[in-house]
Amino acid sequence: MIYYYAQCAEAFKRDLIGRRQVKKYSVLFVLFFSLHSFLWTNVAAESPKRIIALAPSMTEALFALGLGDNIVGVSSFSDYPAEAKKKPMVGSMSNPSIEAVISLKPDIVVMALDGNRKEFEEKLRSLKIRTYVFRAKRISELPQGIRDLGVALGQRERAESLAEHIGAGIRAISVKGDATKKQKILFIVWPEPLIVAGPGSIADDAIAILGGQNIADETRIAYPKFSIEEIIRRSPDIIFIGKGTGMMEKVSHGLLDRLNKVPAVKNKRVYYVGDYLYRLGPRTVTGIEELARYMEAR
Amino acid sequence: MKARMTIIIVVAVMIFCFSVVAGPHVINPFALDETSKEILFYIRVPRSIVAVLMGMALGASGAVLQGMLRNPLADPYILGISSGAALAAAVGILGGFSFLGTFTVPALSFAGAIITGSIVGIMAWKKGGLWPERLLLAGVGLSFLFSALLMLLMSLSSDDGLRKAMLWIFGDLSMSDWSKIPYGCFFVATGILVATMRAKALNALILGDEFAHSLGFAPHRERVLLFVSVALMTAASVSLGGMIGFIGLLVPHIVRFFLGSDSRLLIPAAALSGGALLCIADLISRTVMPPMELPAGVITAIIGAPYFLYLLRGKNVLSR
Repeated sequence: MIYYYAQCAEAFKRDLIGRRQVKKYSVLFVLFFSLHSFLWTNVAAESPKRIIALAPSMTEALFALGLGDNIVGVSSFSDYPAEAKKKPMVGSMSNPSIEAVISLKPDIVVMALDGNRKEFEEKLRSLKIRTYVFRAKRISELPQGIRDLGVALGQRERAESLAEHIGAGIRAISVKGDATKKQKILFIVWPEPLIVAGPGSIADDAIAILGGQNIADETRIAYPKFSIEEIIRRSPDIIFIGKGTGMMEKVSHGLLDRLNKVPAVKNKRVYYVGDYLYRLGPRTVTGIEELARYMEAR
Repeated sequence: MKARMTIIIVVAVMIFCFSVVAGPHVINPFALDETSKEILFYIRVPRSIVAVLMGMALGASGAVLQGMLRNPLADPYILGISSGAALAAAVGILGGFSFLGTFTVPALSFAGAIITGSIVGIMAWKKGGLWPERLLLAGVGLSFLFSALLMLLMSLSSDDGLRKAMLWIFGDLSMSDWSKIPYGCFFVATGILVATMRAKALNALILGDEFAHSLGFAPHRERVLLFVSVALMTAASVSLGGMIGFIGLLVPHIVRFFLGSDSRLLIPAAALSGGALLCIADLISRTVMPPMELPAGVITAIIGAPYFLYLLRGKNVLSR
């Protein structure tokens, strides 16, 4: 029992550090809630049988924790791993169907702070449905996020080793990244209108880890609408284009034509990359490795 | 009046020139290096031209519609043309179509606009003519239908696709390049020309069909011509850069405060002022928070609406 309380105190501390900006009453409420769920999972000491994942990244994380068979519902675009596509869909990440969620009788609904709406979580809680919110939004927070998720879902060991694996992967790349000199990089999320990865986005984190310089790093939001003029002025050495929904090469034609004087385009260093960096989860490291390969290619 | 019209022309030209050289970095057109040259000729000039074309189309068609429908609340978007264009564009963006390369979305939206315009025209047709009330109601009805379909499409789509479509719908000038300008120019110029040539008839229509008839105009024929010109201009404007609010509705009113409501002056003046306003708005939208850009449609309303409200005090709306 004492052990559990020590653990709770730990959770308290972590929570306090992480949520300083949130208003006081909600802090108290969340603390109480996390304390409660913490006790519950530890006392129960086994994984929930029916889990709903409300974000593609969470679906991936649950599969990686070996909980794939316990997933009874996923959000749309949960397309990895392949088995995820066979799970019943409960709606989109930003607007899931509450009825679909309830009718699947979940033991717990796993959501991501980055993507799911807070109101939906509140609504589920008011209906006495257990929720878990994945707090990590940045790559640096990912290993701890995975650990916390594992604890909440009774998969402490697997989460520990996954987190260790992710952490080691990031560290390994970080070291390699030092070899490349500071290259100017732009990560395009969508060419028309031009949306790029700014500070706070996973791609920006990845570029920083790799020792590159994101030319969009002084914008204030994660996915800003960027100015073409500024791309020309800042002349990136490498341009990454996220694949997103596919057809990206055709859609980016017009933009790249207009950027033909920029070093990245002139030297054919425009690369189409996968969707790994749109989802903070088990495959994020793969995404960083992909960028690293292209940044080292020369 | 002549003097005021000259002032408007001069100011509009000055604004255009200013918007080309000003921005997050001022470009001196007399001392160009390689980068600034490229930015000037391939980014800023086409962008400002597109802004001018769109603003002109919206201002002129607003002026025509308010007279033709005898309704101070009429604007180019009330006919549903823009929602048809937006729906077609959203289908293109969310469906990832690219059969015409970068022309896909503009071409789709132009087609959407023209088809919607024709449907509105057909619905408004009765007893051998277009009726203002029917035009208005058919337009409003269709635009509700298309907006609903658009919402449906968006709620079924992925989150990032939705963001892209939203940005397009709220007006995006950043992708303007030379390739679409000739087409835009052609349709906008045709529209403004037709509207200005029929301005006398429009003046008569404002006074009522019988009055117009007794002055020797055929009300139905004039309305068809004016409607076609408005449909062309609106379609061109929406497919050039999405929907920009405010200009079509309020610029004609602002111009009326200065020049009165003689359509012969009002149409060209509203076109010029609309073009100039959108040019300024675009300049602001790319200058305030570099390297980010804000949607120009937001800026037009933020700077235009307070000015309009200021002018509104103690004025007669649609004063004759």
